Amino acid sequence: MTKYIAKRLIMSLLTLFAIIFVLFILIRIMPGNPFPVERMSAEMILQKRLELGLDKPILVQFADYMSMLMGGSFGNGTSLYNGAPIKPIMLKCLENSFKIGVLSILFGTLVGLIIGITAALHRGKFLDGLCTIVSILGVCIPSYVFMIFLQYFFSYKIPLFPYFFDPSRFLSSAVMPAMSLSLFAISTVARFTRNEMVEVMNSDYVKLAEAKGLYGLQLIRRHVLRNALIPIVTVIAPLVVDLLTGAMVIEKIYGINGVGKLMVDAIAGQGVDYNYVLALGIVFSALYIGIMLVLDILYGIIDPRIRLAAKDG
Amino acid sequence: MKKIFAMALMILTALMTGCGGEESAGNGRLSVMLQSNIVSLDSAQATDSASFEVIADCIDGLMQLDADGKAIPALAQNYDVSEDGKTYTFHLREAKWANGDEVTAEDFIFAWRRHCVESSKYAYIMGSTVACIKNADAVIRKEIDAENLGVYAIDSKTLVVELDAPVSFFPSLMCFPAFYPINENFYNSLEKNTYGTSPETFLSNGAFKLADYVPGAANIQLVRNDSYWDAARVELSNLQYQVVSSSDNALTAFKNKTLNLAVINGNQVVNVKNDAELSKNLQTIPTGLLNYLSFNQDYKNNHGGALANANLRLAISNAIDRESLVDNYVMNGSQATYTAIPLRFAPNAKTGEYFAADQKQFSDVVSFDVEKARGFLEKAKSELGLENFSLELIYANDSGDTVVKVAQAIKSQVEENLPGVTLNLQPMPKAEYLDRVTTNSYDIAITNWAPDYDDPMTFFTLWTTEGSEIAEHWSNADYDKIISDCTTGDLAAQYDERWSAMYDAERILLENAVIAPLYTNAIANLISSNVSGIEFHSVAIERAYKSAKVQ
Repeated sequence: MTKYIAKRLIMSLLTLFAIIFVLFILIRIMPGNPFPVERMSAEMILQKRLELGLDKPILVQFADYMSMLMGGSFGNGTSLYNGAPIKPIMLKCLENSFKIGVLSILFGTLVGLIIGITAALHRGKFLDGLCTIVSILGVCIPSYVFMIFLQYFFSYKIPLFPYFFDPSRFLSSAVMPAMSLSLFAISTVARFTRNEMVEVMNSDYVKLAEAKGLYGLQLIRRHVLRNALIPIVTVIAPLVVDLLTGAMVIEKIYGINGVGKLMVDAIAGQGVDYNYVLALGIVFSALYIGIMLVLDILYGIIDPRIRLAAKDG
Repeated sequence: MKKIFAMALMILTALMTGCGGEESAGNGRLSVMLQSNIVSLDSAQATDSASFEVIADCIDGLMQLDADGKAIPALAQNYDVSEDGKTYTFHLREAKWANGDEVTAEDFIFAWRRHCVESSKYAYIMGSTVACIKNADAVIRKEIDAENLGVYAIDSKTLVVELDAPVSFFPSLMCFPAFYPINENFYNSLEKNTYGTSPETFLSNGAFKLADYVPGAANIQLVRNDSYWDAARVELSNLQYQVVSSSDNALTAFKNKTLNLAVINGNQVVNVKNDAELSKNLQTIPTGLLNYLSFNQDYKNNHGGALANANLRLAISNAIDRESLVDNYVMNGSQATYTAIPLRFAPNAKTGEYFAADQKQFSDVVSFDVEKARGFLEKAKSELGLENFSLELIYANDSGDTVVKVAQAIKSQVEENLPGVTLNLQPMPKAEYLDRVTTNSYDIAITNWAPDYDDPMTFFTLWTTEGSEIAEHWSNADYDKIISDCTTGDLAAQYDERWSAMYDAERILLENAVIAPLYTNAIANLISSNVSGIEFHSVAIERAYKSAKVQ
């Protein structure tokens, strides 16, 4: 077991390293200038480049960056755009994105479960078809399109929610973005729940339970759902990271100070903020890899066959 | 299962509570739109007018702009000027920082010294091309210590500034945020690089205090500062900035009453004018932003230096129908401009007339005249021995589609009116655009410039030998001499002579078609009918809310 975990851990670190390397090189060769100031003289730009060590060979810069990263700082730790420190601002934005992400996961899982269960119970009938259509639509419609739709109808036509995100009214502002973001979670969870439930309901032990006279809610809760839930949990975990990082467009149009907006601004603002793009890229990757690592380890614990397969491979 | 449903219900009710359709307008609460994030609340980091606007909401300088754009005292109760115009003595009024500290002369000295050392873009404003503060250039170049900067405190309420040359617009310069004070003790108590990054790290002495802000925020909340020295004048209790990048979204938010002030684009202006209700809210505000074509004259540019030929540049400049540009493509009230200085800017201190009031002054070299343009082109062709010119026109396309339409119009006008000239349009993101300009890899750029201070020199210094090294690569000894005479030389102290010398400089500039002026920007605002008293300026601080009211 220790060996398995160690192996997974090393693989994860290597992946992260590779991501940082590729990101670093890509950002440096992107067209554009990290100093987005009009009429800045060549002399001033050169001086800035010297200050930041951008004149050195790219691999040396990468080595410098890695050593600073090991010391716990993203580059020189400040934005190239406005000189403000990266970490506290990123944490604040992560918090905002996280709150909305959690809301949407909760909402998405609940609604997804309800739709999935309904579909499974009415397998092959009209309701099943309807639920399937809903979950397919959920995958097809980009969340920001749904967001614009909600903004138009539930803020402009019927003024239920704030038109832009208002930090002083967090909950009511969070409803529309959380709902749009949950669309993908709803469909994923619904599809998995339905399929798993159908499979479990056809299994021998459920048939036995039915034969013993169990029916209705009791049967579903005790025997079907409990067994169907395990694989569903494993789809939800990576969804959490997706939601944290996938809200870029929604955060931008609704004006939420989250990491997604931070990323968009760092790339497509006045200049390419090398430090921010890298820092956010690293954090996003680390989150994703971290969750995958935890899942891998959990799988290994739950199902020894996975460990053995990894050993053979 | 019951638990799950119970939880679902709980969360849904939690989500629904606090959801109200209450309007954010009203009760002294004003919500205005910003078109992009502000860069920084630290005046040494800020590079954009939006940042300066928010800084000026929160911090007062020695002077402030009145409703007509004239400089009137703010933290300075009054000031004396020495006879030679080189020493200003400002007498500060009783005013407090929001933490209770007195605003002192030392706060100004601290901020100015820091600005010289730390600012990258606006340090020059202290130096010999603008404010001419003694020793500023040497401090900026880090040759001597900041203590040598020509600004002293006689006592805590008396600030003395020594200049190298008399600067006629020095008082109005004091409205620019680079000259605002910073509380030294407060600044030193902060962690490095954190000044102005949150309400806790930003100290106000002005009309408003920061209530909610992170760098890059889409939403900035300010509240009234009750300890402001002029608090009686401030009626708003809340001032909220909302960054809206799409103007369609802005228009809907305005209709929805989420925004009290929204900026719309040319296409929307046409629609709004046809709407009986909305057209009452439309206010077109002229700005000091000049849009122009910058011709790269360096032989290393992409077309091997053909643009170093003045006749080719003149041909292009005279082949453009500027009236058609603003009427058919920009459409937001912007005005065609035939001078190197924008229209409503830099009034003469004696006559009150704007510097560029006479738009026909240079009509022999800047106009729309196809015959004349073709004449220039023929001369260029024979001088260069070329029949065809294929030039690159670059522009940044990530700030709305106006510039895209303008570029296409210029291309079709130039190609139609000048046979043999081809313009290849090259749209690109702003970061790349700026890189192309500064690294000298472009032929023609659609660019713009907003004045930093209320004097034509804020434009003229762009095209001196030193200034145009960044873009046009033009050098003219006569032009340079006039500019240096007017800034630090003999003419600095003689108002009328300086004024007419600047027209001479402008003539050299336009006879050589160093740039082709296009239009002076206007901003089409939708302003709620219950809002009054917002002051608009063409220089430094674009909008001010100290006297704004919401009924």
